[in-house]
Amino acid sequence: MSGAPRRTPAELDLEVKLAIYRHFATTGRRPAVAEVAAAAASDVPAVLEAFGRLRAQRVLYLEPDGASIHMAPPFSGVPTQHVVEAGGVRYFANCAWDALGIPAALGVPCLVRSRCERSLEPLLMEVGADGPGVSDWLFHCLVPAARWWEDIVFT
Amino acid sequence: MLFFRSEAMVIEWCDAGRHPVRPIVRIEQLWGLARAWYTTRLQPASRRPDPAEMRRIFAGLGLTDPFWDPEARSQHV
Repeated sequence: MSGAPRRTPAELDLEVKLAIYRHFATTGRRPAVAEVAAAAASDVPAVLEAFGRLRAQRVLYLEPDGASIHMAPPFSGVPTQHVVEAGGVRYFANCAWDALGIPAALGVPCLVRSRCERSLEPLLMEVGADGPGVSDWLFHCLVPAARWWEDIVFT
Repeated sequence: MLFFRSEAMVIEWCDAGRHPVRPIVRIEQLWGLARAWYTTRLQPASRRPDPAEMRRIFAGLGLTDPFWDPEARSQHV
């Protein structure tokens, strides 16, 4: 785009990251690369390069096409069992941690819906600005912290 | 990273999948993790915690098992 502002890669990466997160926060769904390009006043090839850099920084996890956002933690670009509702918007979280991460990021009261992975008992948890109320539900992570990004989807 | 209704459910699930049982985290600890990672995520200056910061966050929440060491070398952790 000839009218695109001159920016360093780091400056563009920041604009792209903010455009992605604002889109998720507003709509609950992942933006298309063209939507990110428009929001960041850039073009698709430059935004795809920024996607690659943000992936290397572990800000994003992309689909194999290199253009579709699978994860912008705590938001998931694809449906999952961890659903967060706030302000009439429905979000998908990548995991149980991110199911509380979305309320933390949004800073508004949320309703978290998930399940016990063993019994499949539904979890319904209200999360306010100070977090969830007293709860005896538990969280379990199978992958040690040092290996989370070896396969972040499995983690 | 999953929710479970009780410790017994964690153990049953791990046994069924032949997985090791890892340190179990309470909801208030999980909220601490969520806040530490994501409270500023929509802001320009947001970034992921580095390994030293991760260690401090985990320790502050009582998560001191080697499982939480972000730079552990052992594959058996």
